[in-house]
Amino acid sequence: MALANTRVILAAIIVILVIAAGFYILFSRQQAANVIVIGTTDDVTELDPATSYDFFTWEVLSNVMAGLVTYDQQGNIVPYLAERWESQEGGKVWIFYLRQDAKFPDGTPCDADVVVRSIKRVMTIQGDPSWLVTEFVENVEALDQWTVKFTLKQPTGYFLAVVATPPYYPVHPNYPEDQPAPDATWGGCGPYMIDEFVRDQYLRLKPNPNFFGEEPKNDGVIIRFYEGSEDLRSALEAGEIDVAWRTLNPSDLEDLRSKGYNIKEVPGLFIRYLVLRVSQPPLDNVAVRQALAAAIDRQDIVDRVFRGTMEPLYSMVPSGMWGHYPAFKEKYGEGPNIDLARQLLSQAGYSESNKLQVELWYTPEHYGDTEAALAAVIKEQWEATGMISVEIKSSEWGTYVDQLSSGQMMISLLGWYPDYLDPDNFLTPFLLSTANSWTGTGYANPQVDDLLRKAMTSSDMNERAQLYKQVQEILAEEAPFIPLVQGKLFVVTSTEVTSIEVSPLQFLIYSSISK
Amino acid sequence: MSLLRYAVTRALAIVPTVLILYTVVFIVLRVIPGDPVTAALGTRSIPPEELEAIRERLGLDQPLWRQYIDYLLGVMRGDFGESMTLYGRPVARDIMERFPATLELTIFGFIVSVVLGVGSGVVAAFRGGLVDRLLRTSSIVAYTLFIPWLGLMLKYVFSIKLGILPTGGRIDPRVNLDVVTGLYVLDSIITANPAALVSAVEHLILPSLTLGIVLSGVYTRLVRIHVAEALRSEVAVAYRARGLRESRIAVHMLRISLIPTITMMGLQFAILLGGAVLTEATFSWPGLGSLLVERISYRDYSTIQGVTVFFAFMVGLVSLIVDIIYAIVNPRVRY
Repeated sequence: MALANTRVILAAIIVILVIAAGFYILFSRQQAANVIVIGTTDDVTELDPATSYDFFTWEVLSNVMAGLVTYDQQGNIVPYLAERWESQEGGKVWIFYLRQDAKFPDGTPCDADVVVRSIKRVMTIQGDPSWLVTEFVENVEALDQWTVKFTLKQPTGYFLAVVATPPYYPVHPNYPEDQPAPDATWGGCGPYMIDEFVRDQYLRLKPNPNFFGEEPKNDGVIIRFYEGSEDLRSALEAGEIDVAWRTLNPSDLEDLRSKGYNIKEVPGLFIRYLVLRVSQPPLDNVAVRQALAAAIDRQDIVDRVFRGTMEPLYSMVPSGMWGHYPAFKEKYGEGPNIDLARQLLSQAGYSESNKLQVELWYTPEHYGDTEAALAAVIKEQWEATGMISVEIKSSEWGTYVDQLSSGQMMISLLGWYPDYLDPDNFLTPFLLSTANSWTGTGYANPQVDDLLRKAMTSSDMNERAQLYKQVQEILAEEAPFIPLVQGKLFVVTSTEVTSIEVSPLQFLIYSSISK
Repeated sequence: MSLLRYAVTRALAIVPTVLILYTVVFIVLRVIPGDPVTAALGTRSIPPEELEAIRERLGLDQPLWRQYIDYLLGVMRGDFGESMTLYGRPVARDIMERFPATLELTIFGFIVSVVLGVGSGVVAAFRGGLVDRLLRTSSIVAYTLFIPWLGLMLKYVFSIKLGILPTGGRIDPRVNLDVVTGLYVLDSIITANPAALVSAVEHLILPSLTLGIVLSGVYTRLVRIHVAEALRSEVAVAYRARGLRESRIAVHMLRISLIPTITMMGLQFAILLGGAVLTEATFSWPGLGSLLVERISYRDYSTIQGVTVFFAFMVGLVSLIVDIIYAIVNPRVRY
């Protein structure tokens, strides 16, 4: 009898616990209804603008922190933390006047001292992205509580574009002055505050109650981290996430569209290109490089490899950015110019019986699953000339970048995402002889160096555009790099999500998402 | 030799094992092309002098023997160094945060594999005939299954089609959980958090089933053989002659057969950890395995070395525990 009673009591306790758990879960999920869950295969590396140097962490920082300036949807630099600014001494001195209502989530004012401390902190810590400050800034000082003065090492026409990058974001005074804080959650004075960060699992953001700008359209954002695109897709289909962002496989996109998911397409700044080692035979012959450039069929690559998720690119400066000039299309035409390629190869001494032998390198995972196919299609296009024989080689990322910088690869496939939004960042790192050693190309042209340096210091946009056009013409003529395609970005959302905005820097603007 | 002395001797044997593994990993990492700086920065253009400053900060400008000794001395003091890709983040912190995830998955995967394996082994041995053949075949199939494939299939059915279980991760981020031990199931019980408990268990089901099913095959075959042998042994005959019920005989025979199974459990631990690496990758499970895979591609020397040393130590420790249990369970063992 006693045993029977015990069993009844135990059963009752279990039933009550289960019901309580059910109610709790239901209640907690209802409460979270206006919270947007974003899934990604990217990682947050260091929640510290002094050390983080990757796309996704910069995106998170851009939503949690506020820079002195930002971009509007048309790509113009507009006031943000700074209400206005002025440049003096031909662009060598820049003075920013801060707004006085900017505060951190705990109410600490975001004034000139905070800005100066944050930038000096980046210079002291010397993390990976610190060069974006140290290369340009000689000194930064507070003129009064709301005015910051930058003195640059040399006049820089595009300094505002550099200032818009995360290393210039002011951080909360709790960040140690001379130490990195990779897991810090004090954040900045942007639209969101960091509620919880569980590394490699999730990041939970809440609206910053003291944000000076427009209130976010949601009650918070959760970012969930997934290992691969398969996992990301599964999570979307299982309803665990509202937004799938960076990166699904191209083949998944059409399938998801047919299943009723919304797909927003955004022109991207990500470019893919070939690096040619020009300092060694046979690529030291410009006719050979021109032949390789002429034989490329970009539309074929877009259709067969990327299934329409990229678009052809005819310059290192992406289409849509000011200063873009489609130099390769002007020189070699839109499609593959096999006749010209054969003619150039003959001129260089090659024939169908004496083929040009080249090695084409790719890295299997870093740029996604499509890389082997991309290499195979390029091989096919070059071999269609009948005068080129291509050997495809590959190595994993850690080895690949080492081989690249040490010039061990004849031709290699690479990608580039800009640090700051200016043609300079798509040309100088590749073509300026003192800056391109990382590419292993060995390319050096004093005329190009002069043009780039002149463009760097000029503050006249028309003059800069002309200088960059000349550089792009020389790039197509000498072909040390061959631009291939330009990425588009895709944001896939469930039908409940009603608005998505992506900034000109390609960062998802979390505050604009609603459902 | 006393049991204590045996245990101490066995424990000391872990040291050279860990040392050898550390040395091998150290050499291999330095021999293969690439280094943490170039791998992390990738194609970012960074001025050469900045690059040198980063190398210096990471100690990569030091001679190899110095790097080898410094790290080893650090490990002896319990300092696993700082990550080379995440500036300022101690490796020990990564290990302490990630290990509970791997341990939790390993424990539940282990339980599933033992329950499935021992259960099916016993049933196969007792039933014989068609059931035996079916279970034997399924155990071979289970053993040959590729973890990512099985994981994907389970996810497709239970997460996408039926929508009853999550696709990955350890817990629903909307549920608050105060982490105490890092084992989420245990933590949610300790903190009396039913929502977290439900979420943590939900998230564990598919990964531990995947790992457990694949590893159960070994136990099925092992238990089946030993139970069948024991049932035919003279001891069993003697029990029957004394009039013991078959169910009682089965319990006695199972106990005898468990000795080799326990040995296998110890040996399986390293395999279990290996399986956990694949399972972690399949279910976005943030454990040590996925950390290792991720950091290998970035040549994060200190993290790779730290995790490897830690893994080696754990495998050694579990082997030691198994040896001690074995010695206790089987009185014939002489030490």
